[in-house]
Amino acid sequence: MAEKLLRVHRLRRIYVWELPVRIYHWINVLVLLVLIVTGFYIGNPLALMSGKEASEVYTMGWFRFLHFAAAYIFFFNFVFRIYWGFAGNKYANWKQFIPTTKTFWKELKTVLKMDILLMKGNKEEREHLTIGHNALAGLTYFGTFLAFLLQCLTGFGLYASMASWWFPKLFAWVPFVLGGDILTRQIHHWTMWFFILFAVIHVYLVFYHDYVEGRGEISSMGGGWKFIEEDYFEKNKPHTPNPEK
Amino acid sequence: MSKHHHSQEKWFEQPTYYDEIRFKGYSRRDFMKFASMMAAFIGLETSAIGQVAKAMETKPRLPVIWLHFQECTCCSESFIRSSHPIVADILLDKISLDYSETLMAASGTQAEAALKNTLEKYKGQYILCIEGSVPVGADGVYCMIGGKTSMQILEEVSEHAAAVIAWGSCASNGCVQSAKPNPTKATPIHKLVKGKPVIKVPGCPPIGEVMAGVIVHYLTFGTIPELDRLGRPKAFYSKRVHDTCYRRPFYDAGLFVESFDDENAKKGYCLYKVGCKGPTTYNACGVMKWNEGTSYPIQSGHPCIGCSEENYWDNGRLYERASSFAGFGIESDADTLGKYALGATGVALAGHAILTNLNKRKDINTLTAEGEAGDVDVIE
Amino acid sequence: MGKRIVVDPITRIEGHLRIEADIENGKIKDAYSSGTMVRLIEEILKGRDPRDAWAYVGRVCGVCTSTHSLTSVRTVEDALDITIPANAELVRNIMHCTLYMHDHVVHFYHLHAMDWVDVVNALKADPKKTSELAQSLSHWPKSSPGYFSDIQARIGKFVASGQLGIFSNGYWGHPAYKLPPEVNLIGLAHYLEALEWQKEIVKIHAIFGGKNPHPNYLVGGMACSIGLDDVSGINAERLAMVDRLLTEGKQFIEQVYIPDLMAIASFYKDWGAIGGGLGNYLVYGDLPTKGIRDTASFKFPSGAILGKDISKVYDVDLKKDDEVQEFIKHSWYEYSGGDDKGLHPWKGESKINYTGPKPPFEHLDVKTNIHTLKHQGGMAMPWK
Repeated sequence: MAEKLLRVHRLRRIYVWELPVRIYHWINVLVLLVLIVTGFYIGNPLALMSGKEASEVYTMGWFRFLHFAAAYIFFFNFVFRIYWGFAGNKYANWKQFIPTTKTFWKELKTVLKMDILLMKGNKEEREHLTIGHNALAGLTYFGTFLAFLLQCLTGFGLYASMASWWFPKLFAWVPFVLGGDILTRQIHHWTMWFFILFAVIHVYLVFYHDYVEGRGEISSMGGGWKFIEEDYFEKNKPHTPNPEK
Repeated sequence: MSKHHHSQEKWFEQPTYYDEIRFKGYSRRDFMKFASMMAAFIGLETSAIGQVAKAMETKPRLPVIWLHFQECTCCSESFIRSSHPIVADILLDKISLDYSETLMAASGTQAEAALKNTLEKYKGQYILCIEGSVPVGADGVYCMIGGKTSMQILEEVSEHAAAVIAWGSCASNGCVQSAKPNPTKATPIHKLVKGKPVIKVPGCPPIGEVMAGVIVHYLTFGTIPELDRLGRPKAFYSKRVHDTCYRRPFYDAGLFVESFDDENAKKGYCLYKVGCKGPTTYNACGVMKWNEGTSYPIQSGHPCIGCSEENYWDNGRLYERASSFAGFGIESDADTLGKYALGATGVALAGHAILTNLNKRKDINTLTAEGEAGDVDVIE
Repeated sequence: MGKRIVVDPITRIEGHLRIEADIENGKIKDAYSSGTMVRLIEEILKGRDPRDAWAYVGRVCGVCTSTHSLTSVRTVEDALDITIPANAELVRNIMHCTLYMHDHVVHFYHLHAMDWVDVVNALKADPKKTSELAQSLSHWPKSSPGYFSDIQARIGKFVASGQLGIFSNGYWGHPAYKLPPEVNLIGLAHYLEALEWQKEIVKIHAIFGGKNPHPNYLVGGMACSIGLDDVSGINAERLAMVDRLLTEGKQFIEQVYIPDLMAIASFYKDWGAIGGGLGNYLVYGDLPTKGIRDTASFKFPSGAILGKDISKVYDVDLKKDDEVQEFIKHSWYEYSGGDDKGLHPWKGESKINYTGPKPPFEHLDVKTNIHTLKHQGGMAMPWK
């Protein structure tokens, strides 16, 4: 028993995800869910076999309204997150997502080897750990931000011609640049699938990290806390992109 | 148009539209009716009707050269369908259509001489209308007239044109011949004519009255109509067919034709699910309709095929909402591929989970043991 | 060796055509015709959804608009063994007949008439005599001396303006024009009337197919629903309009077009002896009443006539390899199995191979190659 006791780590609790980041995350979950469901419906509506007159029903109208309302929330939530990339703590900082250092690329390689390809790795690689986003996750999130942007551009671009408010009209140039509404609509539809695939992989990897690391990965998006072994923390001074902050 | 001042003397003796119309037995009232209809077509305020009338009373006939390249002549045909009683008269007689391979009496040498004559006599004043795209493949041999390629002809004739009108989808965006694999390298006019206003009037063909409206705008104001970012007259191409469609309430209600022989088709429900491209097509079909307002595709029960949109032949099939994915065959729309991708992801993740339990067994065991040990420790 | 003359462009046709003719002693000894525009829609069509093919194919021609689309949907239905509803067959036949009416009139007046009718000579006509002549030919009401005098004055003023527009550089006054001034004036008046008329008759296409040019077709039938009291669709009001348009269309053809055709042709009887090709004629037949496969049900029968012998009409089977073949020996195309052979359209190839002179050029090199770019679908098609 004594031997085993030595291996019980003292855990350090770190406040990783600030409240605004958590709110951003869960708004995103909700809004994306609404956007995907309503988006699918708009793309291929159900066959309503009701005997009602068109003046009595507004099914498509409601789905579209939900889609547009969710789109506004999604957009401003996204804008807020960009702001928080400069105002938030180091785990929320924009440098988590855009590779600016050599260590970022090094970590990327390590994560690929250890967590994606499940290779043995050397000692350094085995002992590697991150507190916030790992480099691969960060870069992937950067990819999602680009997809967010594309989705906002194409979505509001399509919406512009039927909008009366000046704001969506700012996007009227998008279909012209992309070569017409048809292609814009298609890009909007294709990109949605990126979100679906992303969500599936994202949820899986959260479970994965929680399972193989035991540091509170899943619950971290609830309370914002993650846990790390004290001795690992002392020894490695885990990767943070801007440790001065 | 300042150029008109210089040429005013030359045209002084020529009858104006108003002279001609009066001469033909139309009253001033008829004339004003026509002028207000044209003003409405062009999208002018009521106050501008007087201006249209005045312009047509005082301006002499405008020389027009109409070239045909890679086309099917549907634009010329649509033009002569222009339906307001005196529009056909005005546009066939009142512009001076000095060169048109479809309608002109002269052929060969005489036709070419007529063209040359207008090029010289009305240098900088004539309007150049182009029907068709220009094939730039194989040095232009896929369209030759009088032993010259369409590329050579376009260069010569566009040089001193006051403005260029690209009739129809061929001239505006290449239409069917530019669809993949575009074997002749069919090229729209705006990519070849530089330094000159090019008015795009897309559609296969454009509505006759739209064509008439564009020309009358030029006659009236001596300037080209206001264009959108793609070079189309805003008056006719700023609204989606969908937004002006009388079946729109069915769309909002979610009531759709599921197949062409169902009860919903008889009830005139929205054609969205059978591939209608109205929601992505900018044209005046829902407002002006076709053939003197007789009907338009959706009214006759057929989905809009989006014929005035760029690249409409390659942007998805006619009877499908979802468009096929380039390179994956015609049956592969985004959702089909998405489902495959989702399946593949599921399989990959399951594999990853299994491998994790195998490869990281030691770590997981350690973690479990540590957790259990910690638990014991606390109890003790 | 005589003189070579070139006529290019040939105007008042759809497409781009060039004729070179060798003249000897004032007569044409030999002639070469060459279609000088190609789009290769056959290549573009490959790999597309067969339900969409009609739209691509329809764009082959906007003058005989709808025929290529009709042929395309029939082809797809034949391949997939689809029987269309009886109403769809009727609607398609009405649309096809509409084109038949429209195309004949437009071809005669707007495309062909200026080869027979001298517009400028019409100014010399006596309106009173013209009126008498017109009234002796038909009951068409627009035939008063005042009517013809107005037309004459209108064209007179037009000619005097010096801007001749579409009549610029015509062959006015050429001795080959044989019509007396009064017939020229009738022809001219009816040219203008037919211009108004032609946009009316095609409204039938708009009713059933949504628009004209290029009305919409549908594999499996027609998209327009039919029900006398349907709010949207082909209801009683729409059918009444079709009926009116057909009746008025028929009136114009019977009272204007055919009398004009007969009157004008009577002055050019000698032209009947010129041309005529090989004297072999093939008609596919049309207006099916029991489906496209039952050729016996066609209101417009199919058949072939050989050597101008109209006493015997031969049966044709379009599906037989040896009955219909496309030859490209005189086209700027090549066949993988050699250019001398003919191929049934089902096995056709469309590989382009331009071997003509490099533009700009004066003459085709007819000695070494008398190739020509074909008009879409216009390959030489011999029968048997």
